[in-house]
Amino acid sequence: MARVLIADDASFMRQMIREIIEPEGHEVVGEATNGIEAVALYEELLPDLVTMDIVMPKRSGIDAVKTILAESPTACIVMCSALGQETLVMEALQAGARDFIVKPFKPESVIATIKKTIEKAD
Amino acid sequence: MALDMAKYRRIFLEESADHLAEISRALIDLEKEMDNAPAIDTIFRMAHSIKSMAASLGYDPVADLSHRIEDRMEGVRASGRVSDFEELELLFRSLEALETMVAAISGEQGPAPADAALIGALAAQATELADPLPSALPSDSPDAVGGEPKKV
Repeated sequence: MARVLIADDASFMRQMIREIIEPEGHEVVGEATNGIEAVALYEELLPDLVTMDIVMPKRSGIDAVKTILAESPTACIVMCSALGQETLVMEALQAGARDFIVKPFKPESVIATIKKTIEKAD
Repeated sequence: MALDMAKYRRIFLEESADHLAEISRALIDLEKEMDNAPAIDTIFRMAHSIKSMAASLGYDPVADLSHRIEDRMEGVRASGRVSDFEELELLFRSLEALETMVAAISGEQGPAPADAALIGALAAQATELADPLPSALPSDSPDAVGGEPKKV
């Protein structure tokens, strides 16, 4: 089971991810509401996995991914994307994000993607 | 697994009210200064957020309209400014339509589809700026986007 940091500016989405993954035994160790917080909380908490929204204030999810991976190349980051963000998803994957989940979230897909990402990282 | 959708409906209504107010303030800022970058970015992000929440709850008309606004604002972001007062007026009308839809959801009704003319006007210049659909995203994720576009 993984210690997870959720980065999303929408409380709606943070709660939904939490509600999907906690019953699977994952522990949400922190929530970030923008890209700056995401980087700071990653460095502070060193989670096993980050779910990273792309569109966030102050600093985008893409920038946060690049910053985290520059310091921690093995960081496991899963992007949260929506239709119309395919180019950004590609950019994040090329920068080192491990995978992505698409909104609206399907619980079974979120669970499967996180499980697969954690297993690959082990 | 089943999520408590009534809870998410309440959160949607609360967050949408905040987001719509932010869009309104940002539009007023744009009225004074058409290249106000923070205002442009705010409208883009708020529309994006409303779109994602609405799609999660199956409020397709809200998701569709906010998606169109987001696409339009992506074009505005790329050009660095709202082109003219006509475009600003279009954005004000879009905000009003979104507010009406969210109010209908709050009142236990489903949102009516957005006015086709409004959708058409928003799409008029946005289509050429829209992202191409991915034909070969390198993910083997079960969520990998491909084939029919997902409505988010």
